[in-house]
Amino acid sequence: MPIIVLGLSHRSSPVALRERFAFADARIPASLAQIRTSGIADEAVILSTCNRVEVYAATQLEPAKAFSELKQFLTTIHDYRDPLTDELYSLSEPQSIHHLFKVAGGLDSMVLGETEILGQLKQAYDLALKHGHTGARLNKAFQRAFNVAKHIRTETNIQRGSVSVASVAVELAEKIFNSLADRDVMVIGAGDTSEKTARALMSRGARSVVVANRTYERAVTLATELGGRAVQFDDWAHEFAKIDIVISSTAAPHHILDRTKLEPLMKLRRDRPLLLIDIAVPRDIDPEVNFLENVYLYNVDDLQSIADDYLTQRKDEIARCEAIIAEKARALLSAATPSHTSHVTHHLPNHA
Amino acid sequence: MVYGVCMIHAVFLWRKGFRQHDHVSFFLMLLGLVLHTAAMVGRGFSLQRCPVNNLYEATIFLAWALALACLIVSLLPRLRFVSAFAAPVLFVIGVFALMPSLDPPHGPKPEFTGWVTSLHASFILLAYGSFGLASVAGMMFLTQQHNLKFNKLRAVLSLLPPIQRLEIVTGRLVLVGFVMLTIGLYAGGHLPRPDGVAYWKETKVVWSGLLWAFYLALLIGRWRFAFAGRRFACGVIGVFAFLLLTFWGTNLLSTLHNP
Repeated sequence: MPIIVLGLSHRSSPVALRERFAFADARIPASLAQIRTSGIADEAVILSTCNRVEVYAATQLEPAKAFSELKQFLTTIHDYRDPLTDELYSLSEPQSIHHLFKVAGGLDSMVLGETEILGQLKQAYDLALKHGHTGARLNKAFQRAFNVAKHIRTETNIQRGSVSVASVAVELAEKIFNSLADRDVMVIGAGDTSEKTARALMSRGARSVVVANRTYERAVTLATELGGRAVQFDDWAHEFAKIDIVISSTAAPHHILDRTKLEPLMKLRRDRPLLLIDIAVPRDIDPEVNFLENVYLYNVDDLQSIADDYLTQRKDEIARCEAIIAEKARALLSAATPSHTSHVTHHLPNHA
Repeated sequence: MVYGVCMIHAVFLWRKGFRQHDHVSFFLMLLGLVLHTAAMVGRGFSLQRCPVNNLYEATIFLAWALALACLIVSLLPRLRFVSAFAAPVLFVIGVFALMPSLDPPHGPKPEFTGWVTSLHASFILLAYGSFGLASVAGMMFLTQQHNLKFNKLRAVLSLLPPIQRLEIVTGRLVLVGFVMLTIGLYAGGHLPRPDGVAYWKETKVVWSGLLWAFYLALLIGRWRFAFAGRRFACGVIGVFAFLLLTFWGTNLLSTLHNP
């Protein structure tokens, strides 16, 4: 039973398309159940982050048929009717295993070598495991993927330098502000990446942090951890006059900040520079605000070009990582081959 | 010529996004300054006095002071590219200095005599230098600000200083220049003038008053009306461009400065 992957990522599609295909966490178990009950796959894991939406499946169907049905499933569940060409990629073994290992190791991430994706992959796997949607094939492949990620992290220099969304955000802040020491940060939506970004800014001397989250308790917890204070989600705009850097990562399905809303707020701030980091998918901040004076907006796609440059600088490390991945994938597939063969042989009499 | 080459090199640096400092602009500027100094010293020896006696020499002295200031500032790691931005300004000043009538044949005595005259000339020249540096900082601000908005990779990889620091530097240089211009103009008001010259109708006086008002408007706008960021930088560059473009013409029309 081979493992296949169907999905779209920052490499294949723009954020506007990825946000259409994104899965909310609460929806994933039911979607996995649907994949299995419809007979597309026996085991499945859905990974949905701001940079990728991927379905990993162990299926008995022919790969071509499985891809076609998974694509149909994705477009139907998201009510997507426009034509898709190269935005969706489909991989079967051994490329699917290579891909899984690359994703776990951060080699397919927007910011090369970042570790946030490993946490997100573990979370996606745990969710599928908890609801009983994984089996021997995916369990082994994912466990091996986590092992490969650890190996890459310890054996190579792939994480050296600014390789995370958080550190790139800090770099950008340092290109705008004279000093981060007297800057006030606001976190809207207490996600993992926004927490790391806020933490990185605080570690570089940012003066204070304000956290606004729909779940107020979560905002209080994060604010306590960061040494800041929490505000009610509906009150975040009242705090804006004092804020210099905003990190937004809510799960809102629409823009929470647009030009009409920001213009009067900028006047209150006497047009001091404002750095907006929108790491939410769907995006929280209307791209139009970047045309406002003294407003600097960056979304996840904006970091792509920066990551690309790091990519060229770390070519040697990529080659080393890919050698590790190739070796581990070969080992996994050769270990799976006897059982896979016996599985097929077992069914041969039926076919006969 | 060397400042012109430095300006052409600055275009290449700009196209590369100021990613790596290759020291070429620094050494070109240094070469320009050495030749500039040699020419000034040569002229000084030939005249047997300090060569700041007429408008040509004053303009050349201003360019020399600007080049020296830029070279010193560019020793700071975050301001290494200042010479690349200063080169076009120096080149333009050099071209304007070569305009006719700025360098009349020297008489037996220096044209600038007396301490009030010296105060007037030196403070106004220093003010122009300060405005020139402010416009250089303004150009750096506009380059980096545009990159931060629309060419984000270039912004991250460039070695230019943060835009907020550039804005602070621009504002302070304008303020310093404005104070010196005010002192210089005040001293100029106390200079003896030829009979029959209507002071407030005199071209150079009107032009200087206009320049003073422009810089005052920029400072008040920044201080009271949030006229900051890109608009302030554009204003500083625009007013300095006005200064450069009209300096020669107003001097030719002035009965006080070009009797």
